[in-house]
This record gives sequence, structure tokens and C-alpha cells, in this order.
Amino acid sequence: MKKLLFFLFITLSTTLFAQKPALVKIQTNAQCGDCKDRIETALHQTKGVVYAELNMETKVVEVKYKVSKTDVATLQKVLNLAGYDADDQKADPTAQKALPLCCQPGGH
Amino acid sequence: MVFNFKAQIRGVVQGADSLQTKPLKNVKITLLGAGTSVYSNEDGTFEILLGKQSPDTLLFTIKGYRSDRLVVTRSDRFAALNVVLVSGQLVREIVVSGGKDAHGISKMKTLHVEELTSAEFRKAACCNLSESFETNATVDVSMADAISGAKKIQLLGLDAVYTQLQFENIPFLRGLESAFGMSAIPGTWLESIQITKGTGSVVNGYESMAGLVNLEFKKPKDMPLMSLNAYQNRFGRTELNLQSGQRLSERWHMGLFASGAAVYGTFDHNHDGFRDQALSNTFNLLQRFSYQGPRMEAQLGLQAYADDKTGGQMSFSKQNPVGYGMGLQSQHISAFSKTGFFGKKPGQSLGVIANVKFQDLDGFYGLRHFTGKEKRAYLNVIYDDNIGNADHKIKAGASFLGLQLQQFAAQPDGAMVVGNTRTELVPGVFTEYTYSGNRLSAVIGARYDQHNIAGAQFSPRAHLKYALTPQLDLRATGGRAWRLPNYVADNLTLLASSKAWVAAPTLLPEISWNVGASLVQGFSFKKRKGSISLDAYHTRFSQQFVADRDSVSSLVIFKNLSDNSVATVLQAEFAYEVLRGLDLRLAYKFQDVRALYAGKLQNQVLLPRQRFFTNLAYQTRNKRWEYDLTYSRYSAVRLPHHGIGSPWALLNAQVTRSWKKTELYIGGENLLNFTQHHPIMGVDNPFGSDFDATEIWAPIMGWNVYFGLRYTLK
Repeated sequence: MKKLLFFLFITLSTTLFAQKPALVKIQTNAQCGDCKDRIETALHQTKGVVYAELNMETKVVEVKYKVSKTDVATLQKVLNLAGYDADDQKADPTAQKALPLCCQPGGH
Repeated sequence: MVFNFKAQIRGVVQGADSLQTKPLKNVKITLLGAGTSVYSNEDGTFEILLGKQSPDTLLFTIKGYRSDRLVVTRSDRFAALNVVLVSGQLVREIVVSGGKDAHGISKMKTLHVEELTSAEFRKAACCNLSESFETNATVDVSMADAISGAKKIQLLGLDAVYTQLQFENIPFLRGLESAFGMSAIPGTWLESIQITKGTGSVVNGYESMAGLVNLEFKKPKDMPLMSLNAYQNRFGRTELNLQSGQRLSERWHMGLFASGAAVYGTFDHNHDGFRDQALSNTFNLLQRFSYQGPRMEAQLGLQAYADDKTGGQMSFSKQNPVGYGMGLQSQHISAFSKTGFFGKKPGQSLGVIANVKFQDLDGFYGLRHFTGKEKRAYLNVIYDDNIGNADHKIKAGASFLGLQLQQFAAQPDGAMVVGNTRTELVPGVFTEYTYSGNRLSAVIGARYDQHNIAGAQFSPRAHLKYALTPQLDLRATGGRAWRLPNYVADNLTLLASSKAWVAAPTLLPEISWNVGASLVQGFSFKKRKGSISLDAYHTRFSQQFVADRDSVSSLVIFKNLSDNSVATVLQAEFAYEVLRGLDLRLAYKFQDVRALYAGKLQNQVLLPRQRFFTNLAYQTRNKRWEYDLTYSRYSAVRLPHHGIGSPWALLNAQVTRSWKKTELYIGGENLLNFTQHHPIMGVDNPFGSDFDATEIWAPIMGWNVYFGLRYTLK
């Protein structure tokens, strides 16, 4: 019982108080709410990402990440492989084709 | 009064692409005049600030649905908008609905409805329906007897038989399923649960005396190709769930649900010679289909269930029946079909719901055998239309229930048998009017049923909602409901005792009036949302069929009471996102449930008068970790004849880690390790006159640890 609470405490504190992360803003070509889900999920599932939030007005995704675990180029690559442009890096064509219609460029 | 500050428009967007409309997330909502836009949340809700221009037009757009426009003015800040977008698959010229309505998610509904979603079910161990209510203060879950370990639920202080339980608007878990059915539904099959306090809509039947609990299962169209759930706990319980959704053609989808559960751990921690948990094997299969055509939609399904339980003394087993044993064998199959036809006019539709069920139940507690057979057929036809515009809606229809129920149970000596076989034929008609205004919305309905035993029964019901301020909603409800008691089937777990049963010769219908009111104040503090709610409900039975365990200590007396039983329940709840991602819920409940037992109006036995509940949930921003902590404190319960139990508390915790396709969870239950010391009375002589395993009010087993896995393949 005590051990369990200790375990809870440790996991909670490691997730909350890890080393100071960096913040980056990446311009994407998201189009709809579905895109927002896809972009945020793809980044959330990337090692080192603390959180990602896409602003639908500006299409800019704000990513907080741990410098020791990942870098901006990796994050851009993740977006490309999810089918989206990231700053000047173009989307992977196969991944882009696999997106639902509304997420395809000009499909909205 | 003139409001000069900004007017906020709230509402919910739903998509109509099956018989059920469901909330749509990520719908783009644009105010054309002001040029601002927002996206709807997970639950379809949205909030947008109205600019200087009024009236302005809201535009709703999302892929796969037809866009819709709605003109809004400042006065709409009181209204809860409900916009139903029609699936692009439906014929172009038909628009199902699109207007102001109070229906939608909980906050928008005229009725006081609490919605539990699949995110809520993830907070607890998963496994079956009764456990799905454990992170919730409205429904109480408790054990029915110390031998079978069957769980029961209570709403507004009244047993589940007084609450209409339904599967996607089809009444179920009634009749023979009442005693053991709560553990027959795997939690992972559920998409959401709606809990309505007070009498429910007349459309769904006459039995919602205390409330209505509707279960929505996962829909074939939304189900992933495969999802797997495995669970294991330290007491030797293993569960395996497999679900698969498949697209058969553009119009047909199929969903397959399979579940198997086994309890094989043998424990006697309290050294009373009895198993702390009954051994069991349970199988459950459901196959469902959905069809979406241009003018009609349909849902069809077939379910099969089998349960085999063995409990009692450690020496007792199926192969070697020595000593006191308990056994249960139950099988049922059921089929359902729901078809909906859209009319030419917006809002016009015809729905037909049909359901058949066959069940066999056999079992025993010591020498007390019980047996039951049930055949049931149910048909409900509902016509829906708008009167003039979508602010006025009318529903009308007819229903028929045909039921043959056999229920028999033996007395403690194993010989004499109580029970009956009866046939019920219940044709009924109903109508319901819904008004949705800016501030006021109302649902007024009535049904008339002609029962072959209970006679003619008229059930009028009314529900009102008034928005006092844009954030403060007042609701009131009142109505009549009734049911015909099945005293053997409803009370099978009371056989776990040597109290003989004595029943009144005539069986009168149970009739109640329920009135209630609630206040819900929404607020926003430091940009995070919260709510405070207060509600009070009073159920007064003009006739109730009660089990009296007080008058004579050696008997359970089943008797009709007239105007001598009431239930009053008050509940206060506070919810707030304390820190980003950290949600806190606090609740307090007071239940005063009384009936005439042993000549005086006494509290219901084994029901805590007070309950304090708190739930703390934290999810990291990247959604990889989820932490949950649930604490409930119960006041002492009254025991039949001899005093009271003691106050006790329950602490559950769970941690979930999510990856792309896999989720792992580990959790603990009853972490304060509270157990009832002598759950069974007269253990030295289970066939003697003092034996009683029905006075159970707290867990038998101590702290538990479980872990599990969810795997999803799209």
C-alpha cells in the first residue's frame, strides 16, 4: 500500500518536474479540426514532447519539448510524415495523399 | 435589464448519421458578421462571443456533414443552442433539424441528465456495468449478498428495479436479470451512459420511478478494426474483451463484441469457512449491424449470454457438493432492431423499436433452489414532427409489451415453494410535447397503459428548464410512474439467509410520484471551467411492495404498503479544473428513505444516509499519463433488528499510460483496506435458523491491485 503511493508520487513528480523544456512554433498547413487532432496526436506520441497545441487561426503549432530528447528538425519530420508542411519542410507526399479529403490541400 | 457586456452564445453541435444523433467535435463555428470562429469540443459543446453586430449568423461546417446556418441575437445568450448537422450520406433535400433546442448534452437538456462518457469509464478498472458507476456520486454501488457477491445499484436511495434501465432506448436488465444482471454488461462495450434523475421521458415506458439510466453501446461505424482489453487482479479474476468494427459496404457496418470473464481465486481471508468471492465463468457475445440508406436507417443486433457461478463454503464445489453451497446458471439470448424513416419535412421521422428476449435461470443458496424462465417481446413505434418550426416538437406513438415470467424459490427447509407464473400484456399509447424557447424549455408528456393485471394506468410527466442567468439553470420535474413487482426475481439475493419468505396474497402494482428540482451554476475562474450543482428529489409511493426484514426476525415479509413509503435525496456537487489538466469533483449526498417496517416509519436497511465523494483526475498535456483518485465515505447503515454498521470509506486509484496503439493501466481498489468483519451471520451452522448472508454493507475483500491492457488497431 505504502509502496503503491510512493510509486504514484514518483511517477507524478518525474512527469511534472523534469528538466526545463524548450518552446518552438512551427507553421503548418492544417485546414480543419481533423487536422488539429492529427497534428497534436502525432506530436504527443513523439518522444520528448511535453505538449503540442495548434492554433487554428494561424495554423501555427506550439510545441514544448525536452531538448535532451528531441530537436526541431525531428518535430518537423514528424509533421511531414503525418502529411503536413512544417515551416519550409514539405509534407511527405504519400502521407498527404492518405489524409481524409478535408485535410488535403485545397480540400476544405 | 440591459446587458452591455459581451453576450456569450453556448450550445452543442450534433451529427445525425444513425438512429442516434451524437455530439460532433471539431465543427468549425464561424460568426459571419464578426468574422470570429471557434471549434466544438470533444462533447460537441462550443462557446462563442457575439460581436457588436446583432443579429449575426452562425455558420457550422465539418467534413461529411451538410453545413448549416443559424441566426442569433443577444437574447440567445440564455438559450442552449442545439444544432443537428445532417450526414452528407442522407439525401440532399432532407434536413433533419437545425434550430434552437434544449436537448443535447447534460447542460442543455430540459431533464436533469448526467452523462458518463468513455473517458469516465477509463478511470476505473473497466470491467462491468456496476463498476462503471464507481467514479460517480449519483449512483451507489453495493453488494447484494455475501455469498454470490452480486452487485446492485441504487439511484435516489431506491433499488435499481425502480430505475428504468435501457439499452439504447430499449428497456432491459429487468425481470430475471434484475438480481444478477449488473455484472453481465462489460464496461468496455459502453460508449456512454446517461443518468436522468426523476421520472424519464414517457416515450421509453412507464417504469422510471426514481430515474432512468440509458446505456449507449459502441456503434459499428465508429469502432476500430480491432480493440482488445485484458484485465487481471490479485484475487484471481481475469477478463478478456475483443471488439471489432467492419465496413461491409457503403451502407452497412458490422460490430462484433466478445467478452469472457473468469473468477477462479479461492480466498477466505476472514476465516469464516466461506469463499470471499464466488467462482464464475461468464461469456457474452453481441453482434450488431447498422444500415444507413437515403431515406431510412437501421440498427440490428443479436446478443447471447451465459453465466455459471459457484460459491459458499470452502468445502463446497460443483464436483463435490459438501456443506453449504451456492450455484447459479443463467443463459439468455436477445435480438433487437431499430429502424428510422425520415419524412419529407424537416424534423419528421418514424422510429420502430423491436426487441425479443428469452432467459433461463437456475440456482440455489444452500437448500433454497430457485428457478426462472422469461420470454419477452417489446415493440415501440414513435412518430416525431415539428409543429410549425423546430421550437415546437411533438412525439406520439404506441408500445406493446408481452411478457411471460416464471419465478419460483424454495423456503429454508428446501421444500415449500413460493412464486408464480404470469403473463403480462401491456399495450400503451403516449404523446410528448417539447418547447424550446430562449430561456424556458419544457417537455410535457403523458402515457396510458392498459395492463392485464394492473389495469389502466395513466402517467403524466412534466419537465421544465429555465435559464435564470446565462450560467444558471433551474430545472423542475414531476411525474407519475409505476411497475408490477416481481418479488421473487427482484429479491433472489435475499435467499442467502434462513429467513423464510411470507408474501401478501395479492400483488398490487407499485405506483409513485416523483418531484424534484435542481440548480446548476456554471462558472469560469482563471480561464478554467467549473460548476456547482444542487438538487433535491422526493419520491412518494402511493403503493409499494416492500421486503420487511424488521417485523419478525425469522421472516422476510413481502407486503403492500399504501402511502407509507417515501424517499428524499439531496445532492450537492462541485467540479472545477483546479490546475491545467487537474480536475476535481466533490459531492455530498443525503438520503432519507423510509417505509413502514414493524409498525413505524423506519430508514431503509443497509442504505447509508450520507455519502461524501471526491474524484481527482490528472492528465498530462501530452495525454500520455492519466492519474485518478476516487474517495467515498459512507455513513453507518441501519441493520435489520440489531443496531447499525459503522461508517467506512473506500479509496481507489489508477494510473494509465498511453502509447500509439497500446494503453497499460494499473490500479488499486479499497486501498484503505476496510472490510466488514462478520459479513455472514451464523456461519457455524449454515443450515440453522441464525444463518444470514444478506446483511452486507461493506467490502468482504481487502485491498486489491489490478492491471490491464488496451490495444487498438484502426
